[in-house]
Amino acid sequence: MIHPLAWLIWLAAELAVLSATRNPLYLASAIACTAIVLLRLRGRVVDAPTVPLSPLRFGLVVLPLAALFNALTVHMGRTVLLRLPTPLPLLGGPITLEALTFGALNGLALTGIYAAFIVLNYAVAVRALVGLIPRAFFPVAVVTSIALTFVPVTLRHWRQIRNAQAIRGHRIRGLHDWLPLFLPLLIGGLEHAFQLAEAMTARGFAGAAETVPMRRARTVIAAGLLTLLAGWVLWLAWQQRAIGIPLMALGGGMVVASLWWLGRQVPRTTYRPTHWYPRDTVIALASGTAAAAFLVAWPGWDRSSIFFYPYPALASPGFSGWIALALGGLLVPALLIPPTRYLSLFQSAWANRAILKRDASVQEGQAVTGSPSGIATVAMYPSEAAYPSTPTGEPR
Amino acid sequence: MIIFRDVSYTYPGAARPALRHVDFHLPEASFALVVGRSGAGKSTLLRCVNGLVPHFSGGTFAGRLAVAGLDPLYATPRAMSRRVGFVFQNPEAQFVLDRVEDEIAFALENAAMPRQEMRVRVEEVLDLLDLAALRERKLETLSGGERQRVAIAAALAFRPRVLVLDEPTSQLDPQSAEDVLNALVRLNHDLGLTILLAEHRLERVLQYADRVIALPDSPDGENGVLCGTTREVLPQLKLLPPLVALAKQLNWQPLPLTTKEGLHFSRALTEHILPVLPVAASPRYGAVGLALQRVWVCYDRQPVLRDVSLEVRRGEILVLMGRNGSGKTTLLKTLVGLVRPESGRVWVDGREVTGEDVATICRRAGYLPQEADTLLFADTVRQELEITLRNHGLPEHDEAIESLLAQLGLTAHAGRYPRDLSVGERQRAALGAITVTQPVALLLDEPTRGLDYTAKEALSALLRHWRDAGMAILVVTHDVEFAARTADRVVLISQGELIAEGVPAKVMGASPLFAPQIARLFPGRGWLTVEEALRGLGVV
Repeated sequence: MIHPLAWLIWLAAELAVLSATRNPLYLASAIACTAIVLLRLRGRVVDAPTVPLSPLRFGLVVLPLAALFNALTVHMGRTVLLRLPTPLPLLGGPITLEALTFGALNGLALTGIYAAFIVLNYAVAVRALVGLIPRAFFPVAVVTSIALTFVPVTLRHWRQIRNAQAIRGHRIRGLHDWLPLFLPLLIGGLEHAFQLAEAMTARGFAGAAETVPMRRARTVIAAGLLTLLAGWVLWLAWQQRAIGIPLMALGGGMVVASLWWLGRQVPRTTYRPTHWYPRDTVIALASGTAAAAFLVAWPGWDRSSIFFYPYPALASPGFSGWIALALGGLLVPALLIPPTRYLSLFQSAWANRAILKRDASVQEGQAVTGSPSGIATVAMYPSEAAYPSTPTGEPR
Repeated sequence: MIIFRDVSYTYPGAARPALRHVDFHLPEASFALVVGRSGAGKSTLLRCVNGLVPHFSGGTFAGRLAVAGLDPLYATPRAMSRRVGFVFQNPEAQFVLDRVEDEIAFALENAAMPRQEMRVRVEEVLDLLDLAALRERKLETLSGGERQRVAIAAALAFRPRVLVLDEPTSQLDPQSAEDVLNALVRLNHDLGLTILLAEHRLERVLQYADRVIALPDSPDGENGVLCGTTREVLPQLKLLPPLVALAKQLNWQPLPLTTKEGLHFSRALTEHILPVLPVAASPRYGAVGLALQRVWVCYDRQPVLRDVSLEVRRGEILVLMGRNGSGKTTLLKTLVGLVRPESGRVWVDGREVTGEDVATICRRAGYLPQEADTLLFADTVRQELEITLRNHGLPEHDEAIESLLAQLGLTAHAGRYPRDLSVGERQRAALGAITVTQPVALLLDEPTRGLDYTAKEALSALLRHWRDAGMAILVVTHDVEFAARTADRVVLISQGELIAEGVPAKVMGASPLFAPQIARLFPGRGWLTVEEALRGLGVV
């Protein structure tokens, strides 16, 4: 699997490109890249998420709408197609090909953005995104996970309640009639929350007490954020680059360092960590290059073709082979998504290897970890002797 | 392994104690059953074992406890979680994550267990609970039994020495419940895990348990808590499965716990009695209350009901039985308009319901869904009834409401908050909320879930009373003993088709799957209940 962070970087690059240019050639290329990635993904996602509207349909609706809206409200441009009577407020005036084109290009960019989010939806489970929350905010991550588990349960509960109230002759005529539906949902939700709290306590989950150094670290985060903000304001509002940028760096450093330190204070391991493989680096670099080609004014880099503007008269858009090449970076995930069949073969081979390795180490008499209870070959429920019972626990 | 010394406990704000002078000792590797009426304090007792009571619930606690060498009173629930695994009634309400493996690993991750060790533990419990094939699955796609097994696996991840389960099968159908219980037996036999299980349906678990802890009906009663081997305690209990109840009446010694043991006695008794097939009294039913004619229902183009025709007459109780997913609930929903049939006709009280909305149909046909709690939302039981009347625009006659509350046995609880009542009382409150319109037909979906023997008997009596008053009653249930006591007619459904229909003695008596315990004990006699058997044997 491609790392969720790599996907986020890809999405950011995609959004940057789509919002930086209105050149139809680049827009179309970016969208083509997205479409190919999406098609590659679609075949191999197991729990395919439900997509409210396919990007193609979205485009078919949004593109004409955006073109029409722009043409009706913006009356600039030389190529006049027809004239609406001027007494009409806002709409009146010449309808130009340029305005129509520009609107369509905006629609195209919107479609691309929509498609990019659909790709993310396919590629990364929400759960995996939650996994990206820094460990310092571990309680936040747990709460988010629980909320995600709550959603389908609540939806089912909602359907049950709607049916149950219909059975009792309940009809929805006005706002007031929603109360009998929300009240049981709320009560049910609270009951569920209580049961879950009990279950989590029974499984040894307890909120760790906050120590003084941890509270200090949180203060440092707040101070860091303030410093960051101050530096930014100095830079932007008063053009004090010399003070502003170091201040921002200092603030950022404070935040990152305290987050890192706080994360280390949370005693927690991950059962199935997401690994960052070389292919993730490739995706991140390729996406970064694509975004940089559109955003950064490198010396000697001809960016004029990026800024396509149809007004006052429509002209053919410029094209730079280098920029198009950089844009191809957005296609990289499609090349690196492993095909399903090979993927499963690879995974089972990998799993077998891990088991063989473990067995080998068992035979050699090495414990895999330093844990006293050892590994699978040791009796699962050690006898009383293994856990010396404390005499203080027994009632006398 | 588990020692209770004179334990008493009162919930915060409660007037009376939930537990009083509980005193017992449970040796290692026992499979102990906790029995008692609902509200007798079973859940409270179980929660003492891992320290949820009093650490999570508060309240006043007296007495001493020792569990697996620790004192739950002084150790935190966190420390106890390493020694005691706990599984709750509702599998849904105990899940934190959404995938099988992740859910099992959750507690281990929090305990900062090294990854290598964690992998081993997860593999172990996946194998123990037979979940390896489901490891990647999302929890919401699993059946109830599978989910409950995941919950057990998650509870075992710490390799505890005691497993406590609070009515783990009450929300499950018989097949899933069987899966879960078999898993427990395996854990107990193969690993010597000490198991403490609260369960209502004794007929299913009694054979596995070697110890029984019986709580008195109310903690104030003179009888204290009984604890001992199954055969020591059973004769002193009032709520018993049919086999044991009959054996007690006929003085069979030693008390049989399984049909196999019982057959030994029953054979000897019936050797000299010629089988007399029961002559079914010719039913004198009234007009048709509910009817389906050639009904097809599809979900996602998959037929769920195929060409179903069925009639329920006024003055009869029809019980519909069948596997999970065989279309039972869909059939009920079709009758009240919650599901629209693809083709076919539906009548309620002699009127075709096509095009009528659910509310209009439900005035003539009360429908109690599986999740009866979702019906309740008012502040008092009485208001629940009044709100239904108001919804339908019917007059609120105090007398009618009072008499219905009296029938339901809720007169004393009329002013109470419905959700504070016991399971059985809550269900009766929901029944009140749907029958206050005096419908001619009543549909019930799995009404015995989570009910103890007393509550089931009360429900059965109530249904028979309403039937005699001329109601057409259709019950969907998995509970064969309840069906045997209650039904006038039984219909079996499989894959959306009705496959058998007739009097209970005929349909259930012969089927190995749906035969109640007594029918298994006296095959071919047509006796289904303890009373019928006693009458047939000439004892009464």
